[in-house]
This record gives sequence, structure tokens and C-alpha cells, in this order.
Amino acid sequence: MSGKDVNPGDFPLALWPPSASTEAVQSDHLILGFTVLTLLLTVPIFLAIAWFAVHFRAGKDVHREYSDKRNRLLEVSWMLVPFLLTLIFFYWGAKLFDIHKHPPADALRIEAIGRQWMWKFQHPGGQAEINDLHVPSGEPVMINMISQDVIHSLYLPALRVQMETLPGRYTQLWFTANRTGTFRLYCSEYCGTDHSRMGGLLTIMSPADYAQWLRQSGTSISLASQGRALFSSYGCSGCHGAGSAVRAPSLAGLYGSPVPMLAGGTVVADSGYIHDKILDPDRNLIAGYKQVMPAFKGVIPEDRIVLLTAYIKSLSPAGQDTQPGQAGPERTP
Amino acid sequence: MTPPPDSLIGTIETALREPHPGRITIDREPDYLHDEHTLWSWLTTTDHKRIGILYLLSITAFFIVGAFAAGLIRLSLVVPNGQIFSNDTYNKLFTIHGVVMIWFFLIPSIPATFGNFIMPIMIGAKDVAFPRLNRTSWYIFVSASLFTLFTVVAGGVDTGWTFYAPFSTTFSNTWVVPALIGVIVVGFSSILTGLNFIVTIHTMRAPGMTWFRMPIFVWTMYAVSLIFLLATPVITMALILLVMERVFHIGVFDPALGGDPVLFEHLFWFYSHPAVYIMVLPGMGVISEIVPVFSQKRLFGYRFVAYASIGLASLTFFVWGHHMFVNGESETSALVFSVLSFAVAVPSAVKVYNWTATIYKGTLRLDTPMLYAMGYIGLFVVGGLTGLFLATLAIDEHVHDTYFVVAHFHYIMVGGTALAFLGGLHYWWPKFTGRLYPEAWGRLSAFLIFIGFNATFAPQFVLGYLGMPRRYHNYPPEFQLLNILSSSGSLVLALGYVFPMVYLGWSLRYGAKAPPNPWNAKGLEWTTASPPPKHNFETPPTVDFPPYDYRRRETRV
Amino acid sequence: MSAAAAQAPAGIAEVGIEREEHFTTDGQQVHAARFGMWCWLLTELLLFAGLFLCALIIRIMHPASVTATTTHLKFWIGATNTAVLIVSSFTMSGAIELSRIGWQRGTVRFMLATAALGTLFLVLKGYEYYQDFDEHMMPFLHGRRYALAQDPSTILFTDLYYVTTGLHGLHLTTGVSILLVMAWMASRPGFLQRHQNRIEIFGLYWHFIDLVWIIVFPVLYVLNR
Ligand code: HEA
Ligand code: HEA
Ligand code: CUA
Ligand SMILES: [Cu+2]
Repeated sequence: MSGKDVNPGDFPLALWPPSASTEAVQSDHLILGFTVLTLLLTVPIFLAIAWFAVHFRAGKDVHREYSDKRNRLLEVSWMLVPFLLTLIFFYWGAKLFDIHKHPPADALRIEAIGRQWMWKFQHPGGQAEINDLHVPSGEPVMINMISQDVIHSLYLPALRVQMETLPGRYTQLWFTANRTGTFRLYCSEYCGTDHSRMGGLLTIMSPADYAQWLRQSGTSISLASQGRALFSSYGCSGCHGAGSAVRAPSLAGLYGSPVPMLAGGTVVADSGYIHDKILDPDRNLIAGYKQVMPAFKGVIPEDRIVLLTAYIKSLSPAGQDTQPGQAGPERTP
Repeated sequence: MTPPPDSLIGTIETALREPHPGRITIDREPDYLHDEHTLWSWLTTTDHKRIGILYLLSITAFFIVGAFAAGLIRLSLVVPNGQIFSNDTYNKLFTIHGVVMIWFFLIPSIPATFGNFIMPIMIGAKDVAFPRLNRTSWYIFVSASLFTLFTVVAGGVDTGWTFYAPFSTTFSNTWVVPALIGVIVVGFSSILTGLNFIVTIHTMRAPGMTWFRMPIFVWTMYAVSLIFLLATPVITMALILLVMERVFHIGVFDPALGGDPVLFEHLFWFYSHPAVYIMVLPGMGVISEIVPVFSQKRLFGYRFVAYASIGLASLTFFVWGHHMFVNGESETSALVFSVLSFAVAVPSAVKVYNWTATIYKGTLRLDTPMLYAMGYIGLFVVGGLTGLFLATLAIDEHVHDTYFVVAHFHYIMVGGTALAFLGGLHYWWPKFTGRLYPEAWGRLSAFLIFIGFNATFAPQFVLGYLGMPRRYHNYPPEFQLLNILSSSGSLVLALGYVFPMVYLGWSLRYGAKAPPNPWNAKGLEWTTASPPPKHNFETPPTVDFPPYDYRRRETRV
Repeated sequence: MSAAAAQAPAGIAEVGIEREEHFTTDGQQVHAARFGMWCWLLTELLLFAGLFLCALIIRIMHPASVTATTTHLKFWIGATNTAVLIVSSFTMSGAIELSRIGWQRGTVRFMLATAALGTLFLVLKGYEYYQDFDEHMMPFLHGRRYALAQDPSTILFTDLYYVTTGLHGLHLTTGVSILLVMAWMASRPGFLQRHQNRIEIFGLYWHFIDLVWIIVFPVLYVLNR
């Protein structure tokens, strides 16, 4: 099944989901291996029960003598050996999980916002799409997501991963697709009336096709440039801009650097920090400044926070916009 | 058995005229059923046996409500794009199904019915320690359940049985608060039952009934009561906070006010994971009674099984995080919760292996209770091992919140506990009612349930791995065939549930009279008459024998 | 356990319990009742533990706003109330001791004193709530300005304060009501002879309410001040 014209719904009965990454194949191996172990552990029990049931039926004259001496070794080993065997799978699963938790630094970063009942995806170049997602194959893709309202969960079965999107907190998920094709994408955490309609198609394209798709679709204004426009329209530049009368911290070079806290210690300014600072500046007061900034909770929606963050990220220490077209890749905390 | 009169009217007439045909009056203490007949005497009773029967009737009613919702869910899922019900109706259906099945059927099922009826007799007590409190907890249960039923009829709730914030606190506009109140109140009924059982087991044992002479069923009741006491208040508090949040908007779970929705998940699962052991431990207790009786052999490794019950009850408090692997939980805690969940498998394994070893070299009779017990072992093992799959981090990342999870818990809860419940019901039916049920029908429906169950839920494992999310009313067309398979399985399953209701009801009147000990079982409950007299024992028993004392017979063979 | 009252001075009654039919010995009944109350207290403790956990998490997540909120709480009223409850625990113990020797009048008086102290606590608490209202510290009243509105997490902590103290107040109100009913019953002849046990059991509950407040007070008022 290759090419992007195949519709996942074309097959009336599927028995195994398609996989689109090497990790997905490993997950499949993991569950298959575990199934084999499970069968090894349980089929003997089932056979034994069935055989005993037939062999020791009441009224049959069979040998029923047994000694009352208990075999502790046997009893302990039939508990411990299966347990240790299953621990192999714990370890295997944990290792894969660990990979899923650490996206490479150079991953292509896509922003996702879940809201009742649609997904919004924003590509670094500013292209936005609703419910459907286009990604290139062969390169790591990191999806940074947040929810506008209730808890949702972005579920990509072909990649065997999902991650909940929480209100007010960023979560991440990443993968490297190793083939092209069209697959399904769902919201898997129950979120109300149209929970079961909150999904679309995941299209994995060759890098060239992806570049082509980016060019064709919509805005050519990057996230950071869109953010710059918002930065002034929300009045942020009034205080944080150069030469402002209000004593507000300059945001140049802020992204990724440690910020000293009023309560002591420092906090690294990542997207979560910037998100919270915009919406709820009274939290985590910073040292050296009086807190005068108004809270933007309920004023700025999540997708715009993403734009503002991209803009802030693009500000170099010198205070100048550096290549607003390419918000550099970001490492996740 | 009286031959039924020709006409239906005739039947009813004789029934009214002669309430207990063929009963001989003797000058013994009347049995608990025939002591007094009025409805009032039932509603004001403090007799643990009558309270057990009252619970049995109420939870059966709730099972029917929940099953009806399940039927409608399966009906709706026959077509992929949900034309049968609206989205909101479907969401209300599975919420009602989950809430009713968990809180009003499965949690009280075995403890409140068999626990109340049998446990005090098993330890040789005249009653539970606080009989009036026992009655109170039934009334609490009934008022909570009527309240919840009212909620269902009046408006419905659409949050899922998990009530996740902030959906339940700010976004849902259904009857969340009344439903929550129903669940909070029913929690008090559980707490009081648990308290009563713990005190009963500690203080009311007959002379000579030492801890290690107690049947395993009593041990599991003890373990369950511990969980009732320690875990229920936490969910009560969490749900009270939800109510407060919804009514006053106090913000504990609302990120807009600095609260944390994940905190609710923690509090919820801190109760609800132990709650799954509230559901499964009593089932294990019932199976540990049935298997030795129908093998006519003592339970293998009795002490290990007793310790395993307490071990499960304690370990279960430390694995709640396995429901939250993909909600941004830190990697370390995910690892810890995962490995602890694997550890829970050990005490469960003890039980499974020891049941099997009990059957070995026994003298087997494959009567209905034993068929249910064997079905239980099979389905519980499948459910439990798929639980381990879910506890494996990388697998859970894929199948979390899919039908794989749905299949996992139905295998344990329906294939496990509900079968144990039915097995126990058949096993103790002669004791409850003094009547025998028709064996052939019993076996037939045990088979139907086993087959129907697997046909319903085995396809859901496949659906889940294919990636069908749960709580989905519209699903992609490629999943339709498997869903149709599952729905048709549920018809067989439904038939299997209807049969017992019919023939057990029938046996109340026409069943053969039961001797005191029809199964040649060894527990104290079988030394009393069937049904037991009002005060359980004519003379208070003294115990000087180990549990499951079949040894003497065995040597004779 | 029915201690035969040797011809004692006037006002000294016989002490004992009335056995219910399903118990075999008096000792069994006494043990069951006491054990049952301990179990109940255990669940109650876990009920409050949920709240303490939330308070703790809020403290860790928003230390600054919690400090801001605690300074608005009436420390002195809280401290007085702590003292009041501790004294009430002593009077309750007194009532129990007197009931053991069968001095009925003394028992009733001490019970009434305990109830009075409990009521005093509730009155002080009510006054504190009134002051909070006056200072616009009631964020759940939507139509009304809230004193610390800039920071949402102070709202959270303030609300948690109301839930916790409210729940404690509810327990205390129940306690006082039971105490009053029991004092009335104990003032009638024959109570100690049949139900002395109940006073002891109730004493456990009263000490528990006291204990909960002793946890609530530092958790809400003192830490982070
Ligand atoms: C009675 C109910 C019950 C029981 C007993 C269990 C038992 C177990 N459950 Fe299950 N579970 C549920 C009811 C139950 N569960 C419900 C209702 C949900 C979903 C809630 C929701 O979201 O709505 C759920 C969800 C659930 C999840 C979360 C899935 C998700 O949402 O992503 C996980 C993950 O770890 C899990 C794991 C386990 C494990 C490891 C056990 C173990 O205790 C199983 C132990 C048993 C065995 C292992 C079998 C017997 C042993 C042998 C045959 C011996 C050989 C084996 C070894 C020694 C290893 N369960
Ligand atoms: C004790 C617990 C218990 C029990 C006994 C059952 C019993 C059954 N459950 Fe249960 N189920 C849960 C607990 C339980 N369930 C929980 C906790 C959830 C999660 C809820 C949530 O997500 O919040 C759930 C969710 C759940 C779902 C997933 C819904 C979704 O996520 O969208 C499904 C779907 O098939 C289902 C089916 C069934 C079936 C077929 C039965 C059968 O065993 C019942 C047998 C009865 C019948 C089959 C119906 C009787 C027949 C009729 C009324 C006539 C009409 C019938 C037809 C047209 C078929 N259940
Ligand atoms: Cu969004 Cu489900
Ligand atoms: Cu669990």
C-alpha cells in the first residue's frame, strides 16, 4: 500500500493495523512476543484443567493418592519464573517508551491544538490545517500540543503512539515515519458530544512532496512573523519593546535561557513557561521586576500563544529578529 | 414438587392460597424466610440473611438497567456512522452503563449479597456485628440508586464513568451533579458494609475459628473491606470537590484558576484502581469455595491463597498511575507504576495455579457452579494477562483508550466477576432458598454465557489493536465487520443471562427441596438447615477442624 | 462488665451495658463497638487526607499565592479555636472518667461543658467567616468583588480553606448534636447502667474531630506564614 491515494476505509476487514515507522514495527514485535509468552504460560493451565476435568471425573476409578508434603520450591517457582519472564517485556516496553519520550533535537516541530471538536495543526512555515495532518517521511517530527478546553488525546495508530493534550500544559509526541501513505488520526480521550468525529487523516509524504504541499497550502507567513503582528496588536510591544517607558524585561534571547525567580532559583524559559507567563503572569514571579502585566487568560487563544511563542523564540539576544522565516528547531524539556 | 395446575389463573390462585406447598410444620425455629411474611418485616429486618436477599434483588434490578444500556450500545455500534442514536444519547448510554454496572452492580454484587448472607454463617456468628447499621447501608444504597435512576430518566449524564475534569466540571451540561451525588452516597453504603465486615470478622468468630481456619471467602471479604475503608473516602472527597467545582467553581481541577485536572485523575484512580480489586477479590473468594467442593479435595496452598488476598489488597494501592501513562506523567513514575503493575500479577498467579492444583487428583463433578468456576479461571487469566499488556508502557501508548482496554476489563469484570457471581449464586442457591435449580438448564446457560461472552469481547481485542478508540459512536467503516460480530455475540450472551433469571425464579416454587448439604461441602454454612434458621445455628458451633476438611474422604478413596 | 455498684454515695449509678442478642459476651460487644469506631475514624481520616493532599499540592505549585492567602486568614481566631478544642477534649475525657465510676450528674455536666466548648468553636468560626465576608475573601460568591483577585491560585487556596473548615465544621456540628442528645439521655436514670459504653465510643469521635483540627490549623493557617 503505497502512494497517497489509498483510503484507509478501502478495506472492509482489517486484522492488523498498517505501521508507518520502525518503532511501530517494534511495538508489534513486542506485543507478538508477549502474546507468545502468554500462550506459553496459559495454554498449559487450560489444557491441564481440561484434562483433569475429564480424567478425575467423579465415578472414574483412577489413581488419586498423593502425598500431603508440599513442594515449596515448585510453588515458589511457578510464581516467580513467569513473573521474571514477563519482566523481560516490561523492560522491552520501557525501552521503547523511553525512545518515545526523547525526541531528537533537530526534529521538525509541528504545533497541535485540540479543541472541542477539532484539531488544528500549525507547521513552522505558518501553514495551518484542520483535522488532517501532513508530515514528511524519513525525518523526525515532533508534535507539541496543548488543549484549548478539555482533555483530548492525539492518537496516530499507524505509528502506535498517542498523547493526551491537556489544558494549560504542553505535551509532546514524536516519530519518524518510514513510508508514505494515508492513515487515520483520532481523538482518543473522551471530550464530549462529537468526540467520535474529532479526527481526520494523517498523510505521510516524501520530503519533496511535503515541501511541495507546504508551498501550495495557504500562508507563506511564518509562525514567527504572524506572532510579531500579534505581539504588537495585543500591546505586548508597548512594554516589552525597546525604549518602552514601562520597566519590563526584554524578551530578546529569553527562549531557552534560565530566568531568576523571586522565590529563588531559576526556571528555564521553554514554551510551557512562556505560555504560563502570558496567560497567568502572577504565577512564578520573576526576580528584579514588579509584576504589573495583565493576565491574558481567556483573551489569547492557544493557537495564538503558539504564534507569540514562535516569535519570542525568534528574537536573538541582540534584540533583532533573526530569520523570522525559520523558527529554529527546539529541544523539548 | 407440586404438579402445576392446568391454567395460569389456577397457578396464581394456589400460589396465593398456599404460600408454601408441602411444608411440614415442625417445632424448630422457623427458617429466616418463613419467620414472618409481611413486606414490612422485610423492610425493617436486621437479619443479615434477609439483607443479603434484599441486596440481591436490588443489584439484579441494576444489572438489568446496565445490561439494557449495553444492549443499546451494541445495537448502535452495528452501523459505523451512528444513525441509530444521536451522539449525545450514545454518550449518555455508555456513561449510564459504566456508572450503573460499576457502582450499583459490580462493587456491591458479591460482598453485599453473598458476603452478607454467607460470611457470618461461615465464621459461626449469629449476625454481623452491627445489624442495624447493615440495614442502614442497604437503605443508603437504595436511596442512592433511586436517585441515580431518577437522574438517568430526567436528563442523563455524558461524562463517562470516569468523570474526568475539566469536562465534567465546566463543559458538560448534563446532570452531572445529581449523578455525582448518587455515587458519593452509594460510597457510604460501601464504607459501612466494609466496616461491618471487618469488625464482624475480628470479633464475632465462633470459638475455635482461628484466622487460618477461615474459608478463603472470608479472607477475601476481609481484604475487600479494607479497600472499602481505605479507598472509598478518597473518591468521596474527589467527587465532593468535583461537585463544589461545578456549583461554586472553586477551581481545584480547573487550570484557569491554577488548579490541575490531572490531580483529579490521580485522586480518581487512587480509588478506582483498588476498586477493581473490590470487584475481583470476592470473585476469587467464591471460586476458592467452589473449586474444592466440586473436586472434593482441600484447597491447595490455603495459606498462600489467604496471604495473596491480603497481598493483592495492599499492592493494589500502588499502581493507580498505570491508567495515566499517556497523560504527560513523568517518565520515572510511569516506569515505577508499570513495574508495580507487573508485580500485582504474582498474587493473582498464586490463586490461578492453586486452583488448578486443587483440581489435580480430585474427584470432579462438573455441575453448574463448577462450570462457571472453570469459565472464570479461563477468562480471568485472559483478562489479567491483557492487563499486563496494558501495563507494558509501549503497548499502552498504542492501545490506551481503545477497545483493547474495553475488552480487557470486560474479560475480568464480566468474564471474571460476573461469572463468579453466577457460580456463587448457583452454589448457594439451595442455602438461600431451600430449593434446587434444574441442573441441565444451569449447564446450558453456563455454556451460552461462555460462548456469547467470547464472541462479544474477543473481537474487541482486535478492534483495539487496530486502533478503534473507545467511547466512539462514529467509527471508520473498516471496523464494521468486527463490530457486527461483537454485537451478535452479545445477543447470545443476553440469552445466557435471561435463562438463569427464568429457571431460578421457577425453582423458587417448583424446584426440588434442598437437603442441608446438597454438595457434600465442608463450610459451616452447610451444617445449618436449608434455608438457615433465623439465628443461623440451633446450637452455637465450635470449630476444631481446618477449612476444606475433605482429607478424611480422600484417604478412603 | 456490669460492675455491681456497692451501696455507693447518692448519685452514683451502676455502670454497665445492655447486651444485644447476637453477641455472646459483654466483652465481645464492647470490643466490637470500639473497633467499629476506630474503623470509622480511619475512613474519616482518609477523607480529610484527600483535602490535605490537595492543599499540599497547591502549596508546592503556587507557594507565593498561598503565602498571600494565609496572611489573610485570622490566625488568632484559629489559634483560640485550637485551644478551645483541646480543652473540650479534656472535658470529654472527664465525662468518660466520671461515667466509669458511675457519677451521673458529673458526667452530664462534663458532657454539657464539652458541647458548650464545641459551640464556642462554631461561634468563633462563624465570626471568622463573617470577617472573611467583610474583607471580600469569599471568591465563590460570584457577584462580589474578591480581595485578592489578581492571582487565580489564591482563589483556589481560599476555596480549599472553606471546603476544609466547612467539612470540619460539619463534623463538629454533628458531634455537638449527638453530644446534646446523649447528655439528655444520660440525665435520665439507668443510662449508665445500660449504655455507659456509648459515652466511651463517642469520646473517640470527639477526640478525632479535635485531632483533625490540630492538623487543619497548621496546614491552612501556619505553614508559609
Ligand atoms: C475487576 C477489574 C479489574 C482487574 C482485576 C484488573 C486487573 C489488572 N489490570 Fe485492569 N482495568 C480495569 C479493570 C480491572 N483490571 C478497568 C475497568 C480498566 C479501565 C478503566 C477505564 O479507563 O475506564 C482497566 C484498565 C487497565 C489499565 C489502563 C489501560 C489504559 O487505560 O490505558 C491497565 C494498565 O496497566 C490495567 C492493568 C491491569 C493489570 C496489570 C491487572 C492485574 O491485576 C492482572 C493480574 C492477573 C493476571 C496476570 C492473570 C493470572 C496470572 C497467571 C495466569 C499467571 C502467569 C502470569 C504471571 C505470573 C505474570 N488495567
Ligand atoms: C460490571 C461491569 C460491566 C458489565 C457486566 C458490562 C457488560 C457489558 N458491557 Fe460494558 N462497560 C463497563 C462495565 C461493564 N459492562 C464499563 C465500566 C464501561 C466503560 C464505560 C465508560 O466508558 O465510561 C463499559 C463499556 C462498554 C462498551 C464500550 C462503550 C464505548 O466505549 O463506546 C461496550 C461496547 O461494546 C460494552 C458492552 C457490554 C456488553 C455487551 C455487556 C454484556 O455483558 C451485557 C449483557 C447484556 C446484554 C447483551 C443486553 C441485554 C439485551 C437487551 C437489552 C436487548 C437488546 C440487545 C441487543 C440489540 C444486542 N461495555
Ligand atoms: Cu477530543 Cu475526544
Ligand atoms: Cu488499574
